[in-house]
Amino acid sequence: MDFGFKISPSSAVNLDNVNVEKFEQLHSVEPDVYKCMACGSCSSTCPANRFSGMSMRKVILALQRGKEKEAISMMRNCMLCGKCSMVCPRGINTRHLILSISRIYKEDGK
Amino acid sequence: MRERFLTGYNDFVLPFVCGMLFVLTYCIVGMIRIIMQLPAQDRKRFFISLVTPKTMLKNIKDIFLKCLIHVDLWKRNKLLGYMHSSIAFGWFMLILVGHIEVLLYTSNLGAKALYYPIFFRYFVAETESTMKGSLIFFLMDFFLLVVLSGIVLAIIKRVRSRFFGMRRTTNPSFLDLVGLYSLWAIFPLRLLAESFTADISGGSFLTKSLNYVFTEFLSNHANMLPAWWAYSCALGIFFCVLPFTRYMHIPTEILLIPLRNAGIRIVNARKGLAKAQVYACPSCGLCIDACPMGVMKSNIKDTTVYLNRQIRRNNEARIEEISDKCLLCAKCTAVCPVGVEGDKLRIAQRSMRKYNFGPDYSNIDASVLSEQYNKFVINNNNDVTTADNQKVLYFTGCMTALTPAIRKATESIMAKAGVDYEIMDRDGGICCGRPMLMAGRFDQAKQMVEKNTEIIMNSGADTLLLSCPICYKIFMEHYRLPGIRIIHHTQFMDELISSGRLKVRKDNIKYVFHDPCELGRGCGIYEQPRNVLSAAGMLVEAAKNRKESICCGGSLGSLTLSFEKRKAMTENAISNLTAASPDRIVTACPLCMNTFGRYADRPVEDIAQVVDRYSDSGRKTSGKHADKTN
Amino acid sequence: MKENIVIIGGGIAGLESAARLIDLGYKPIIIEKSDHLGGHVADWNCLFPDMTPAREVVNRLIVSSADANIFLNTEISFVNKLKDSYNIMLSNGISIITKIILFTTGFSVFDASKKEEYGYGIYDQVITNRDLEHWFNTGDDKRVNNCGMNAVGFVHCVGSRDEKARNPQCSKVCCITAVKQAIELKQKFPEAMVYCFYMDLRMFGKKYEDFYIGAQRDYGIRFIRGRVSEVSENIDGRVIVKAEDTLSGKPVKVTLDLLVLMAGMVCNSDSTKVAGMVGLPLDSDGFLKSKDNVADIIDSPREGIFYAGACTGPKTVPETLAEARAAALKIHLFIKSLQ
Repeated sequence: MDFGFKISPSSAVNLDNVNVEKFEQLHSVEPDVYKCMACGSCSSTCPANRFSGMSMRKVILALQRGKEKEAISMMRNCMLCGKCSMVCPRGINTRHLILSISRIYKEDGK
Repeated sequence: MRERFLTGYNDFVLPFVCGMLFVLTYCIVGMIRIIMQLPAQDRKRFFISLVTPKTMLKNIKDIFLKCLIHVDLWKRNKLLGYMHSSIAFGWFMLILVGHIEVLLYTSNLGAKALYYPIFFRYFVAETESTMKGSLIFFLMDFFLLVVLSGIVLAIIKRVRSRFFGMRRTTNPSFLDLVGLYSLWAIFPLRLLAESFTADISGGSFLTKSLNYVFTEFLSNHANMLPAWWAYSCALGIFFCVLPFTRYMHIPTEILLIPLRNAGIRIVNARKGLAKAQVYACPSCGLCIDACPMGVMKSNIKDTTVYLNRQIRRNNEARIEEISDKCLLCAKCTAVCPVGVEGDKLRIAQRSMRKYNFGPDYSNIDASVLSEQYNKFVINNNNDVTTADNQKVLYFTGCMTALTPAIRKATESIMAKAGVDYEIMDRDGGICCGRPMLMAGRFDQAKQMVEKNTEIIMNSGADTLLLSCPICYKIFMEHYRLPGIRIIHHTQFMDELISSGRLKVRKDNIKYVFHDPCELGRGCGIYEQPRNVLSAAGMLVEAAKNRKESICCGGSLGSLTLSFEKRKAMTENAISNLTAASPDRIVTACPLCMNTFGRYADRPVEDIAQVVDRYSDSGRKTSGKHADKTN
Repeated sequence: MKENIVIIGGGIAGLESAARLIDLGYKPIIIEKSDHLGGHVADWNCLFPDMTPAREVVNRLIVSSADANIFLNTEISFVNKLKDSYNIMLSNGISIITKIILFTTGFSVFDASKKEEYGYGIYDQVITNRDLEHWFNTGDDKRVNNCGMNAVGFVHCVGSRDEKARNPQCSKVCCITAVKQAIELKQKFPEAMVYCFYMDLRMFGKKYEDFYIGAQRDYGIRFIRGRVSEVSENIDGRVIVKAEDTLSGKPVKVTLDLLVLMAGMVCNSDSTKVAGMVGLPLDSDGFLKSKDNVADIIDSPREGIFYAGACTGPKTVPETLAEARAAALKIHLFIKSLQ
């Protein structure tokens, strides 16, 4: 029976169900990925942010929360210009991190 | 002159003949493979260049000067130059004179032609009574002496490299050592062998004298054959291991020179020109001392010479590690005596990486970005285009957004000089593509180049100004902007000053100029910044400058070097710059400025800041944009 | 009572310990490189959390330490280690032989021009926390526009928690200082919007949280969680600040009449120089290394040498004063043990 509405899927992140295998693989090649303190410097300086919403901070977070697809779509316009590496107060090598993500994750987020 | 043996053959020639045939076959097959691996277009270009008189002459000249005389080495280090040219040129002359001798004195050689020129003295007895004979005897002994002197130096170098002014040399591999020792053995053995026969088939000051001095031993002809055997074996071993050692550089360089003169670039990471470069590496180790990463011992094995070695061994893990770590400062390319392009070779390796997904910029609307600035009015009525009405589009680039001092100073200078300018990316733009290119992702870089080209071509500008050398290099090499002049701000300021549009006061502050890698070695701009600085103050030079300038360590070229690991490189570069105790360090790259600023003990600034501080307008009326910055 | 006690640095730590040593019957020697006593606090206007005038605190300390032997405009040229004492040569030609040295060398304010992207020294509307205090004290700073102040921004963590600025440590006092200065500015310019760009707010001290609540509720100061990455200038000379509002996940951009950079605390280079002369080690944070960071923070690894105040790391005024008193007691006990 259709009442014209459905229970919308929960937007909560259930950490019990997040598959961390890929992220652990990423972490083993990029140990600094856990150093991010989410200050947002990279996002605000990023020239690709206005085009694809690129934010290294959000990408790191999304990958940890199992939202791979979201992360990868943000990275679509990354220009690898290195501004994020320059401003990062924790000295994370974001450029190599981006390349590593492109090697470990797949476009469909799987 | 007479033949000593009717057959003109002895078994001892076999090791040599086998080695010789092997190495010749190997080289010919290798050469054909490399040429076949070139893209069709490049191959055609190569063949055409071979028959074009101009390049043909250049090839011969280069092969003579580089492979035999080693002029580049002479320029860097006289002792090293002598060592290499004495062995190479001396050996070449021994072979040449040997062949002439054979041709002069023997007829109908047949198969003997293979080994006769090498073992002539054993097979033929000759008198030195004729003028011709004694001259050839003398020449052969003379060149043998030249080679021997080189071998002695080589042995000294192996034991004490500091004697040659080299801090570090390469660690030879096992086969390299076999090749090395057999090469060292060849010439003393030849001397010994020829000394045995000096009383029969003649000799000159070296062999004959030796024969007289050690009559007891050398005149005993029973000892003769073993010496000739040993000589032939040394040659045979050397030729057999040659393809697997660094000595492969000798034949490869002869191929590399015409390839380079034909203007061919590296396309494939492992094939064609790249392969020729890898095999042309003589493992001399000059790149080790040149490499800015060398300040940390752990990086020594990541220099170009080891990259070449790992590529030859197909050690993929190490190739990736070495090529990703490099700063791409291209100093190894600048010092390489054979012309291995360490930076381009690494970028090519990076381009082989497989990524599951990559950026794509088709969604970016370039016309929106064009609306960020006012377009120049294209005025076709102007009969003459003078410097005064040039329309300058200033692309500040990503890095300059983080160093506002550069942008502000450049704008102020343009206002003072009355230049009509617009800033293309005041609110951000598209990256020039160079950092992407450095990561080896050519397709993505090309897309960015296309987007930027569209924005620039729509602007109505006739000049594109850049204050970042990273941008400047890719704009010069990969952008096609018909009708638009691409100019770096150092050039621009030099022109403004020399044309009198900008007046600069001179102060007695001591400046040192750091040549940014991408501007100096990358684009060959050395003079303009120095002209500009000399106009504003006293210019002193760094210990290593221009082509040999040391990378600041902040380069985007390196993909893996972490922030902390770059510190030692920056400090080393600063100590190089401050050798002449300047008051200020000046550079012309936002990234260098940012990097040096972090660790330097004295002010670091961009050249535009210096000019802005000491300049006045050269014109009576102020420019259109004067209100913008003041 | 004949022992010489040398106190290096005439800031509040030096003055307080000198005053307490005088109380115990000693006559300490204070060596101060500048022309006035009171150090950084003397340049400040009001102190959190009760808005105590800094001048009062410093003056009280100067009065109570007046009996000390004070050398102003004096630096330490070199120090020789003797058998069980030190020979200190001063720049005024005097040499002192002592068994006891107290380091109260304090800190330096981070040079904000090193963070090039914030445009300190380049843009006219960018000042530091220290410049602002100076303006509170004197009213003299061309960069502060007295009449047209519509929007002001504070950038936290300038030169702190920043590996790129070579100081990964938290400077501890800037959060509360920014809140204090934001309130003070809001009091002077009630119409102005005041923004604080922070990464984390560390309100650890007595009544700090109240201060923070007051700034939010009573003064309407806008706290934006995001680190400023770029500062540019618009055509009319105001500064445009770019950051990410990390809580909404959106980039923010705001035009300001004044941008105040909360420059952090870094180890004083003169302090490291003198420490080097007597062979004192530096800790990994760049400040002087204590014998133990929990139990013996005021003891150096060397006998007879003590620390007080910000030479061992960022500290608030009350913490510094407490350490200074503790150091005076330690010195007293040390002298007793020598007899």
